[in-house]
Amino acid sequence: MSWDINFRGTRLTALLLVLLAGGAAFLGAQQFMVMWEPDRVVPAPGFEEHMLSEWFEGIKDTPADTPVYIQSGENPGGTVLILGGTHPNEPSSALTAVLFLERAQMETGRLIVIPFGNAMAFTHNSPQEASPQKISFRLPDGSSRTFRYGSRATNPIFQWPAPDVYIHPQSGQELAGSEKSNLNRAHPGTPDGALTQRLAYALRQLIIAEKVDLAFDLHEASPEYPVVNAAVAHERSMELTAMVAMELEDIGIPLRIEPSPKNLRGLTHREWGDYTETLPVLMETGNPSQGRLRGRTNEELALTGRDKSYAKASKLGLLFIPYEEDQPLDYRIGRHTQSILTFMEMLGFLDEEKEVLLEGVPGMEDLTEKGFGAWLQPLGS
Amino acid sequence: MIMTLIYRAIVLFVLLLVVRCMFREKEFWKQATGALVLIPLILRFLMIK
Repeated sequence: MSWDINFRGTRLTALLLVLLAGGAAFLGAQQFMVMWEPDRVVPAPGFEEHMLSEWFEGIKDTPADTPVYIQSGENPGGTVLILGGTHPNEPSSALTAVLFLERAQMETGRLIVIPFGNAMAFTHNSPQEASPQKISFRLPDGSSRTFRYGSRATNPIFQWPAPDVYIHPQSGQELAGSEKSNLNRAHPGTPDGALTQRLAYALRQLIIAEKVDLAFDLHEASPEYPVVNAAVAHERSMELTAMVAMELEDIGIPLRIEPSPKNLRGLTHREWGDYTETLPVLMETGNPSQGRLRGRTNEELALTGRDKSYAKASKLGLLFIPYEEDQPLDYRIGRHTQSILTFMEMLGFLDEEKEVLLEGVPGMEDLTEKGFGAWLQPLGS
Repeated sequence: MIMTLIYRAIVLFVLLLVVRCMFREKEFWKQATGALVLIPLILRFLMIK
């Protein structure tokens, strides 16, 4: 087929093409702007809603500001922070936080939940990754709930340009320029830096002001990445993490323990431990929809983790998670949830005054049997 | 903030140059190429993508 057809260009064809480009841009804009709408959540009774800017005014009225939910039990105890959505392309992170937000009934201690840690990164997809924009769950009453599948990095419409080299302010560590938009390279943050760095600073102020005893930063990683189905612990968190790993092993949930490297800076498990009094723990589950070996990347892959390339890689012994046919999101949320519940239980063993007791949150068995959607609240309830 | 305004002004300038070229161009397919270039420029100018 030949493309040597010489149509004559006129002012009329130019006008029509400009209008066509405007129309295409309009349609494209609708698609991009769908992701600007925040996900809706239904907090369990007892949660108070705040905004992170209450702890640091430097992010007030900026897209970095994000909701913070706090529930106190009747009895005094420890304070636990669950941070989800540091990387919105790792869905078990935000969704585990949403599960605690919608189900938890505190008896002892306090629970702080930040489901959408980097709200700016939820407003777009990573370019060239073909990720789905949203994932949905069916609820028992027949309704459905939808959540965004965002990007690892802050949306460049909020923070640009990326420098050639990102220099971590506190350590001088040099990273690729794009990492300046990565919340988990921005800790402990700076009060006058770019938005992502200020967001990290706000999180640090919250941890200090609220005297958070135990802080979780939830993540997912590619199945071929060594730090997966793992907990990365600061040296002060190591004893507690070891106790939890043994408990989880007993119920058939192996948890790899990784010590937080002292020379890898900007991550929660290092900086929260060094700059605050909290015990930080970063946890990873295995997410085939963000791995390099994956095939078609769509909502089904995000929900089921089913991918023939990963099945083949598993048979060749190339993965760091047990993978037979799939790695469902229900299971990944179950891992995070069961691990957090066990951490809370063990925290009381380590220090009675920091005991945290809650009810209403399903464990691994319930989540894998009934699915995550079965535990969400219907919208409008 | 000022840097963003300068950036958007540059994007608008390039966008208008492309439109001007399209109206002066005599070959349809080169006009069509200009139209393709306009789409990301419009989205960038509006800070949508």
